[in-house]
Amino acid sequence: MKLSESALAWLFVGPALLVIGVVVVFPLVYSLWLSFTDVNLLRATGPALELWGMRVPLFHWIGARNYTQVLADPLYWDSLWRTLYFVAAFVAEAALVGFGMALVLNERFPGRPLLRSLLLVPWSLSRIVVGLLWIGILDFEFGALNGLLLRAGLVDGAIAFFKEGWSALNVLVSVYMWNQAPFATLLFLAGMQSISEDLYAAAEVDGAGYWRRLWFVTLPALRPIVFLVLVLATVNGFLMLDLIYVLTMGGPGYDTTTVSWHGFKTSFTFFKFGPGTAILYTLTALCLLLTVVYQRLILARFEPEA
Amino acid sequence: MTLIDRRTFLGGAGLAAAAAVLGEGAFCSARADKPVNFSGWVFKPDTVKDYVDFFNKKHGGQVKYDAVPWATYHPTMETRAMAGEVVDVMYCNSANRERWVDNGLIRPLDDLPGMDELKKKMAPGNLEAARSRDGSKVVGLPYFTSIFILMYNEPMLQQAGIKAPAKTWDELMEHSAKLKRDKISDTPYLPNWNNSGSGTMPQFLSDCHSEGAGVFDAKNRVIVDQEPGAARAMERWQKAYKDGLVNPEVLTKTSSTDTHRLFWTGRYAYHTNHSYYLKTIAGEPENSKLAPKKARMAMYPGNGQTHMFTEWYTINAKTKVLEDAWKLARFLGGNLNGDWYVQRQWCLIAGLDNAYPEMYDNPEIIQSYDRWVDLKLLREQYKKGRSINAFKEPWFSEYDSKAIAVVHNIIRGTSTVPKGLKELAALQKSLA
Repeated sequence: MKLSESALAWLFVGPALLVIGVVVVFPLVYSLWLSFTDVNLLRATGPALELWGMRVPLFHWIGARNYTQVLADPLYWDSLWRTLYFVAAFVAEAALVGFGMALVLNERFPGRPLLRSLLLVPWSLSRIVVGLLWIGILDFEFGALNGLLLRAGLVDGAIAFFKEGWSALNVLVSVYMWNQAPFATLLFLAGMQSISEDLYAAAEVDGAGYWRRLWFVTLPALRPIVFLVLVLATVNGFLMLDLIYVLTMGGPGYDTTTVSWHGFKTSFTFFKFGPGTAILYTLTALCLLLTVVYQRLILARFEPEA
Repeated sequence: MTLIDRRTFLGGAGLAAAAAVLGEGAFCSARADKPVNFSGWVFKPDTVKDYVDFFNKKHGGQVKYDAVPWATYHPTMETRAMAGEVVDVMYCNSANRERWVDNGLIRPLDDLPGMDELKKKMAPGNLEAARSRDGSKVVGLPYFTSIFILMYNEPMLQQAGIKAPAKTWDELMEHSAKLKRDKISDTPYLPNWNNSGSGTMPQFLSDCHSEGAGVFDAKNRVIVDQEPGAARAMERWQKAYKDGLVNPEVLTKTSSTDTHRLFWTGRYAYHTNHSYYLKTIAGEPENSKLAPKKARMAMYPGNGQTHMFTEWYTINAKTKVLEDAWKLARFLGGNLNGDWYVQRQWCLIAGLDNAYPEMYDNPEIIQSYDRWVDLKLLREQYKKGRSINAFKEPWFSEYDSKAIAVVHNIIRGTSTVPKGLKELAALQKSLA
């Protein structure tokens, strides 16, 4: 039997599509559905789907009630403003530091291969480990940084980085940046290395110095990478949860409670999975919105070379 | 080469099989027909595995144990129930237990053989906590029980010329102020104000009780806004924070375990926390500078009353192996073995107390406790323990979690004491 070209293509792509459907599309659609229902895991009344012998309860449809309930809660709005600050600060820091490190690592100097490898260490660590590591550095009682500052006589007493909410939130931003900036560096570096040397040579012939080459050659050529870095950093910033779990648990008070933490608590501590998923889907909507904005601002006028 | 015929081979094989069966039979009783599924949150899972193995050998069980991370334990168990999986015996914490009762996930235990005897042996406070909200049935056997206690750093008090630990809260504040003034300790007092469910709110209940204040009324409504004792406790907390007597980062510690480890450093004079933490503080020289027994326990200040709670073993209402599940539950949360096997292990290994006072007559237990605490005093403290019934309300876990931020705002002075206490009452009302 001879298969047509399209049938053969489906045959090859089919298994991958099936896996994506089961592990990505189905959970996404199901969790979106849950955000419109009255979920009680222990009383799964209402209709249900039977999938390969597994019962998937659909619960009672309650329309947008979860969303109206969530949006009427002042805690949600407080968390949202805090999240927007967190994301803005994190994206700016991660992009700038990542770009700066990429510029350095794009130059030739002794030890560059080693430095490039070391660069990936923070990014490759689990965020639980990252959190614990930074507790070891910043803790009021036994933190290495306080120890150094005190021994050097630079401070009179230990600094309590997590005492005030504002300070604790900024610590979270910086620790997350430390963890994520290497990935941005990697992307920028890959982008920089794909820029043709001829462009720099031509710019040099025209008398452009380092900064003008950076501004007129490097940055325009990196537009797609900048877009990618911003989108990834924004999504990661919105979803960041594990560092809060390890470093502050959303406190003191609610001062480091972001929307993702609020959604996690609502779902897994209060067992309100309907409102919990509604909270988290508002984040998804925000991420999509910002992706469109970035696309318009950065890529709209970008025409890749043929 | 010796050849054996078919008859000899079959005879030999039969003998070998009989020997294997009899041999095992001599070691253990009849094996259960079906496995018993047992789940718990992750706490010393190797210890649990050891006693599950012991149970399987000694009592002929077929128990399959799995441990689930604490943070997602209860949602995981509910999801598994939703998917139709029956976990026969499950850990359950007090804040979630009543929901499991209300939704029919777990069954009452009163009709099971030997339960009446266990009820007689259980301390009254624990038995009350074991009952369902309406008080009609017992729905769990105790995994462990704990009480908030006051610990003090004896060498530090001696260094400051303080002859005896504080008996009142005023004394504790005076001692702390003196230690700070004399530069013996930067932050002499370490209350358990951490941001988890085992921190700020149990500490709040303890200090309110010690001031003679009720936190919930008979109908489990929050009444702290009408209780002068609660206001006194909160004013003291505000002052301690404002005067720099406490570690300013204790509010963002993520567990009671992290908090108690600070006391290991020997830099604090007083610490309030769950009793079992004194075991590592005063009993583990490899970890703590206050071991052996440089940290001691004193009766809780004020009227001595303090918060007490119990965690549970429960049985799935849909279990198909009730007899075996109950046997396992009695092994875990009762005294099936006749020597308090599991409860004793927890006492010896982790300092976890249990709900059966007669276990404390066991010489091994007495000897073990003697290494880290004055057992007599601890038992006295238990007599003053107060457990709440509000944990049986469906709104409790959400209230208990959201209340932490309100109390933190009081401590930090971003909310006044009367306003904060009113907020707590309003929070409970909004969830009920």
